[in-house]
Amino acid sequence: MTGTDATEIWEGSLAFSFPDGCTATKYDEWAFYRRQFQSVAGGSKAVDLLCLTDDVAWLIEVKDYRQHRRTKPSCLSAEVAAKVRDTLSGLAATGANANERCEQAMARQALATKRRWRVVLHLEQPAPPSRLRESAVDPAHLKQALKRALKAIDAHPAVVDRGRPPAGAPWTVQ
Amino acid sequence: MLESIRVKDFTVFPDAELNFVQGLNVIVGENGLGKTHLLQLPYAVMALSAEEGRRSKGRPPTKALLQTRLAEKLKGVFRPERLGRLARRRKGRSRSDVELKLTEPGTSIGFNFASQNDSEVVIDRSPKRWCSQPPVFLPTRELLTIYPGFVSLYDGYRVEFEETWRDTCLLLGAPTVRGAREHRAASLLEAQIGGRVVLERNGRFYLRQVGGSNMEMPLVAEGWRKLAMLVRLIATGSLLDKGCLFWDEPESNLNPRLIREVAKAILGICRAGIQVVMATHSLFLLREFEVLLRRKEFKKVNQRYFALRRGGDGVEVSQGDHVDDVDPLLLLDEELKQSDRFLEEFQG
Repeated sequence: MTGTDATEIWEGSLAFSFPDGCTATKYDEWAFYRRQFQSVAGGSKAVDLLCLTDDVAWLIEVKDYRQHRRTKPSCLSAEVAAKVRDTLSGLAATGANANERCEQAMARQALATKRRWRVVLHLEQPAPPSRLRESAVDPAHLKQALKRALKAIDAHPAVVDRGRPPAGAPWTVQ
Repeated sequence: MLESIRVKDFTVFPDAELNFVQGLNVIVGENGLGKTHLLQLPYAVMALSAEEGRRSKGRPPTKALLQTRLAEKLKGVFRPERLGRLARRRKGRSRSDVELKLTEPGTSIGFNFASQNDSEVVIDRSPKRWCSQPPVFLPTRELLTIYPGFVSLYDGYRVEFEETWRDTCLLLGAPTVRGAREHRAASLLEAQIGGRVVLERNGRFYLRQVGGSNMEMPLVAEGWRKLAMLVRLIATGSLLDKGCLFWDEPESNLNPRLIREVAKAILGICRAGIQVVMATHSLFLLREFEVLLRRKEFKKVNQRYFALRRGGDGVEVSQGDHVDDVDPLLLLDEELKQSDRFLEEFQG
């Protein structure tokens, strides 16, 4: 877990740099999630990163199609939506029951009503070999599929990559 | 203007109710799920009411007249071998129920027919008045180039064209009635297509370009011809305030640049007070609407979306005020499945 100082978190080959003033963590490595929550209801999932700013709780899922292609593009929105849903319930349980004080405190901060939820899918893609497609997966299509799946949580989820950070997000990615 | 349709056992629909808005109404769904039927049915009823209203010279509707004329109109628009073929197919006899609510007072109508009927429907709810204005139906192709002689051909011989083509050709041939409002609405579209649409004495349509020269319609690109139909229908007063336009796949045969122009034109006529009910297969067109509807000029245009899906007992309808509120959106699913195949084949 990182504090409010500037920090860097690696996710695969991508380095996420978070500036002073926000709190960022690899949520899927939290002790409470790994030891207790992951097995809930036959298996609960988690987004990769959680970042808290003054008024936003960012849920960030990272997919790097240059490295792995475990999830097909047509199944990606459903997978991200399930991870977001499980993460929200996981945060509620962490806030109430976690032994790690810092995990509990951050979960409670994330759940504070002054913050709104924003969902970000960071998707890196291989260079396209065809002039017919700018990229293998059109981010606009994926964004609409995510929006349809997540509108009760975040009506404007973002699909981004290194070249296009989400509007209002504090971090950068190398 | 169309407020709602309720159908039971009509073509592929076991039981469906659709509630429309004044503004933009969009029907999506894969082929064979009855999108066009949902345009043809209200069109046939509203067009028949307006036709009879014109002929009746002030006489109110009667059941006797409606039961035969409505059957004829439905057969002309849908072209089944007999009327009863429009009832949902099932073992033994079946009966279709249709109820159309229209915003014009006293014009709503309800009727039914059985699978063995051919020449009559049974009127359940009789309208007290005729519709004052005919609706407009635009089929997937433009009609300006087939206009010369089409109506006389249709009326003189038995030809296998849907009656909507004849009706729309008649409206295209009406004289122009340019008041200030028609002029304003038409001039926006004229700027888009680069000229006015004129019907010359030889019975053919031309695009009179800004420089003054006439270009015969077959030489104008099909996309512009589609927009030219709108220009003409506005100029003749057929698409006026409180009018209703049914448009089947406006995007057909158009390249994306022209689809953009069509999207703008559709929202322009919605803003002018015309109700548009359309069916589409184009995600590009839906996206174009989404972009344009954020603009100040179109912010007040109401929207309604309908998605058709195959259920266990026939076709079901999902509806909502945003395209992301209806399910399924197969156009989007298929785009993403193409991404699956692309990754697999090119970069696997």
